[in-house]
Amino acid sequence: MKVEISRRRFLQGSVALSVAGGSALGTTNILADSKEKPKNTLVKKVPTICEMCVNKCAAIATVKNGIVTKLDPNPYFPKSRNMLCARGAAGVHALYDPDRLKYPLIRTGQRGDGQYKRATWDEAFEYIKEKMVKILDEEKDNRSCIGYCAGEGLAEHTYKTFMADKFGSSNFLNHSTICLQTAVSGYTLTIGGYGQADLENAKYVIMAGANRAEAILTPDTMDLFKRTRGRGAKLVVVDPRFTNTAMHADTFVGIKPGTDLAFVLALTYVAIVDQVYNRNYVAKNFVDFDKYKKHILDSEYTPEWAEKITGVSADVICKIAHDFMAAAPQAIYYQGRRSTWAKNDFQLRRAMALFTALGGGIDVKGGIVFGHKLALGEHTTTAPMYANAKPRIEKNAAAIIGATGSWVAWRNMVAEGKTPYPIRGMFVYKQNPMLSVPDTARTKKMFEKMDLVVVIDTMPSDTAMLADVILPECTYLEREDPVQAYASIEPAIIIREKVIEPMYESKPVNDIMRGLAEKLSKPLWEITKKHDEDVQSELETTPEDEFYEENGFNLAEPFMHPQEETNKHMVVSKHGEEAWNILREKGVYYPNMLTYFKKINNNTYECYPKDKKYYSVLKLEEAFDATAFLHDTCVNPADIADLKRSFNTPNKKVECYLGSMEAKGIDAMPKWREEDHVKVPAGKFKFISGRHAQFTQNATQNNIMLLELMRENYAWINDKEAEKLGIKFGDLIEITSSVGKIRIKAYPTAKIVTETLFFIHGFGAKSEALTFAHRNGASDNEIIEGTIEPVFGCSVMHDTLVSVRKV
Amino acid sequence: MNYAMALDYQNCINCKACEVACKEENGVQLGADKQRIWIGVVEGTIFGKPFANLYPSQCNHCLDAPCVSVCPTNASHFADGGIVKVDAHKCILCKGCMEACPYDARFVDDTMVAVDKCTFCDHRIGEEGTTACQATCPTKVRMFGDLDDENSDLVKLLKTKRFFFQKEYTNTLPKLFYILPDDEAYAKQSVSHNTIIHTWADIKPLYDEARTRRSKEWRK
Ligand code: SF4
Ligand code: SF4
Ligand code: SF4
Ligand code: SF4
Repeated sequence: MKVEISRRRFLQGSVALSVAGGSALGTTNILADSKEKPKNTLVKKVPTICEMCVNKCAAIATVKNGIVTKLDPNPYFPKSRNMLCARGAAGVHALYDPDRLKYPLIRTGQRGDGQYKRATWDEAFEYIKEKMVKILDEEKDNRSCIGYCAGEGLAEHTYKTFMADKFGSSNFLNHSTICLQTAVSGYTLTIGGYGQADLENAKYVIMAGANRAEAILTPDTMDLFKRTRGRGAKLVVVDPRFTNTAMHADTFVGIKPGTDLAFVLALTYVAIVDQVYNRNYVAKNFVDFDKYKKHILDSEYTPEWAEKITGVSADVICKIAHDFMAAAPQAIYYQGRRSTWAKNDFQLRRAMALFTALGGGIDVKGGIVFGHKLALGEHTTTAPMYANAKPRIEKNAAAIIGATGSWVAWRNMVAEGKTPYPIRGMFVYKQNPMLSVPDTARTKKMFEKMDLVVVIDTMPSDTAMLADVILPECTYLEREDPVQAYASIEPAIIIREKVIEPMYESKPVNDIMRGLAEKLSKPLWEITKKHDEDVQSELETTPEDEFYEENGFNLAEPFMHPQEETNKHMVVSKHGEEAWNILREKGVYYPNMLTYFKKINNNTYECYPKDKKYYSVLKLEEAFDATAFLHDTCVNPADIADLKRSFNTPNKKVECYLGSMEAKGIDAMPKWREEDHVKVPAGKFKFISGRHAQFTQNATQNNIMLLELMRENYAWINDKEAEKLGIKFGDLIEITSSVGKIRIKAYPTAKIVTETLFFIHGFGAKSEALTFAHRNGASDNEIIEGTIEPVFGCSVMHDTLVSVRKV
Repeated sequence: MNYAMALDYQNCINCKACEVACKEENGVQLGADKQRIWIGVVEGTIFGKPFANLYPSQCNHCLDAPCVSVCPTNASHFADGGIVKVDAHKCILCKGCMEACPYDARFVDDTMVAVDKCTFCDHRIGEEGTTACQATCPTKVRMFGDLDDENSDLVKLLKTKRFFFQKEYTNTLPKLFYILPDDEAYAKQSVSHNTIIHTWADIKPLYDEARTRRSKEWRK
C-alpha cells in the first residue's frame, strides 16, 4: 500500500467529503491581517465560550480595532482544555455572516414566501402585543394557547423564565425528545445519573452508534483518540457505518440499524452465563439482580439468537463480553447522546447502563463517573398564577411526558387539529424545527395553523421564513450570558463575556425579553383581570397595584438587571470577590486554579493535579473513611468498585427492575420485542442519519468557512447494492419514504452495511435568505417519519423505510 | 533556530480544525483547493473490511527545498529558522515552485496574485509559542519546535520515538516528522513497506550537515 500522498490525490480521493466546492467564495483576509502587520492596531483579547455547538469550549477572541479576527482555545477550562474544533474556529464567520438577521422584520406576504419589511423593535413588539391580546382574550387567558420552543444554549433559561414563569404557558418544547432524552433518562433511572465516561483512564470502551471523532464532545474526543491502538484503551466501535471513530477502533462491528438492544442483551447473557461479571459489586450494589438474571436466561438471549437479528457473529459477541469484563471495572459501554434510533431505545440505554454496572464500572476511575459541581448563587422571581392556564396538550402521549414535552407528539396534535384546546401561536428561540423535527411537511402544516409565529434567531432559517415577526438576536460573540458551573471530574465555572457590541440592531435575549415584557405586561394583565376568577376575588381585598407587583404580574421584573450584575452576584455570593476577578480575567474559575493550572508543553495542560480530581463522589455505605476514596489514590479501582455505595436512585442501588414503569405499561426490564423491530423488506432500505465534525445540526449551514470543507451532503449506500442499482458516485438519486421525497447525490461505499441508507443531518435548507446554504444537498427530516417511542415520546430516528431510484 | 514539526498522525480524526484555524489565522483565500494544510486520506478494504488512514500534512519546510532553488525572482526563500516563505510582491506566478514541490504544498492565492503556502505561523510563534494548527487540534497531532534545541519538546519527543518522512526519496530533507505508531498492526497498516524508519541518532548528522550548508541562505 502506498502511503505518501499529495494534496492533488487527496482532492480526488476524498471528493465525497470535500466536494467540488470550489471557487473562491470570498476571502478571509479582510478579517485576518497577518500577511501584513498594520501599524496602530488596538488589540484586545476577550474570553468567551464557543456557541457553534452545545459543547461550550472556552475560547479567547482576538479583537483588532473592533473587529474579531481570531478565536483561539482557552486552556484554563478543563472540559475543552486547549482545543477549538473547525466550527469553533469558524465562529468569526457566524458573526460576520452577510445573511445575518439585522433588524426586526414583520411579514408582508403570505406565510412562507419570504416577504418581510424592516421594522423598529417597538413596531415588532406592538405587532406581537396586538395579536397576543386578541388571542388571549378569545382563549379566556389560557396562557398555554401559545406554545414555545428553544434550542440549547446558555441563554435558554432566560427565555424560559419569560415564557414559562412569567407569561405562563405550559407548552414548552426543546431538543430533548429529538435528541438525547432516552439516553439520559435510561442511565439516570438505572444508575442515578448520566455521568461522564472517564476516557482518560478507561481500558475498554464500547462505542455503539456514538461517533466521537465526528460528533465532537469534550473531553471525550480529546482523551479517547490519544489512547487508542495499544496506548491504553481498547476501542470497539459498533455502528452500521465505518465512521471516523471506527477507523481508530481495535474492533469494528458493522451492525444492522435498530438492533443494538439484541447485541447488548446477548453481551449480558454471556457475562451472566459464563459468570465473568463482577459478582461482588453486583451483590453489594444491585437491586433485583435475580429478576434480571432470570429474565435474561429465560428469554435465551444467546449470542446465536442475537447474531440472526444484528448480523454480528456470535463469536464476536462472546469475545467482546469476555474482554469487556476482563478489563472491568475500567470498562465502559459508552452512553452516547443523540439517541432514539428505534422504538426500544429507552430499554437499550438501560441495558447498556446495566452491562457497564455488571462490570463494576460505575462511579469509579476509568468507568462512568459523576464528578462534582461548583455552587453558584441563585436568583428568584415570582411566577404569577394563572387560573385558566391549562396543562400541556400532549401530556398523555407517552408514559412520561416531562417538562420539555414531546416535540413530535405535540406537533402532530397541532397539525392534525386534535388538541384539547386551540394552540394559536408559537415562539421559537434558537431552534429550527423545519429542519430539526422529523416529517417536515407536518411541521409546516402546524405553523400554518397558527395565528402568531414569532422567531428569535441570528439567521433567516427555514423556520424564520414561516414567522410573522422575526426578532434578531445577536450572536454569542456580542453578548454576556449567564455564568455556568460544570459538573465534572474537573469542575469549573465559565463565563461568556461580550467580545464586541451587538451589530446592526440585534440584541441579547435578556434585552429582547425585557422589551417584550414591558410591552405585554399591562395589556395582558387586563386580560387576566377580565377572565381569571381567582385574581378577581383577590382584587376584592387587595389594591390592584400592590397585587400586580407582589404576585409577579410585572413580567419584565427578572430582566431588569444587566447580565453582568447578575453574574457577579451569582459568583461572589458563593466564591467571593477574588473568584469573580479571576473569572472575568481568565474566563474560567475553580478553587485554586492559579496554583493548580500548569502548562506541561504546547500540547498538554494540567488543570487539576491528579489527586484532586473528583473520580468517585458517591457516598459509600460502609464504615470506610470515604475521603480516602474521593480522589485518585493508589488504591486498586477494582477494590473501590467493590465497596458498597449509595446511588442516586429510589433504592440507592443499581436498578434492574423498574416496577413503577410496569404500572405505565412499560417493560420493567430491558426486553427484546420482535413486534417492535422494523425489518427491511426486499428492495427497501432503512434510513439513518448522523452528525459531522464540520457542521452542527443545521445551525452552521450558512457558514462560508465550513462550507469550504463540505459543500453538500451525500447519501451513503453500500457499494455492492449501488452497483446492482446502477448507481455511481455523484449520481443524483431520489429517496422516498411514506412522508416525503428528496433528491441527493450518491456516495457508494463499502463503509456502510447493506439495506441501509445514510446521509448527514443539517443540509437542504430551502430559505432563500440563506445565500450559501440554500438548497445544498437534502434534509433528512423531510423523509424521516414522525413516530415516537412509548416512554418519553421521543421521535424514532432510524426506523424509516425508504426506496431509492436513480434519476 | 531550525523549525520543524512532529506529527502523531494516528491521533488525527479528520475534523479539519487545523485547516480552519490556519485559514482564520492567516487569512488564506477561501476555496477547497486553497489550503496551506490538509488531511491526506487513504481508504479501502482489506479482505472486505474497510480501513482508512489519515495523514495530516502541510509544507515540509525542506532543508534542501527545490521550490527555493527553482524560483527565478527569489520570491521563494528561506526565512529565519529555515522557514520557507514566499515574498508575494516578488512572485511573478511562473509556478515553477509549484511544479518543483514534491508535496504539492503550494497554491495560487488569487487575492494576492502570488503563490501561497504554510509559513509555520512565523508571525505568532514568538508570542503564542506555537502554530495555529497545533494550538487548536483536539487530539494534539502536532508538536512544533526547534531542532537546534536539544531540550525542546520536539527534540525530546524525537529522541524517544521512531519516525518516517513522506516521499523521502525526493531528497528534499523534509521537516515533518511522522511518528511511527507503537502499535505494530497499525504501523503495518499505515506505513508502506519501503518507507525508511529513522531514529534521531541516525538522522541528526544528515540534518545538521544540511543545516550548516543551507543556513547561509536563511534571511534574518
Ligand atoms: S466542540 Fe467545536 S463547536 Fe462545539 S463548543 Fe467546542 S469548539 Fe465550539
Ligand atoms: S485538527 Fe488535528 S485531528 Fe483535526 S484534522 Fe487537523 S490534525 Fe487531524
Ligand atoms: S514542502 Fe514543497 S513548498 Fe514546502 S519547502 Fe518542501 S518543496 Fe518547498
Ligand atoms: S503552521 Fe500556520 S501556516 Fe502552517 S499550516 Fe499550520 S496554521 Fe497554517
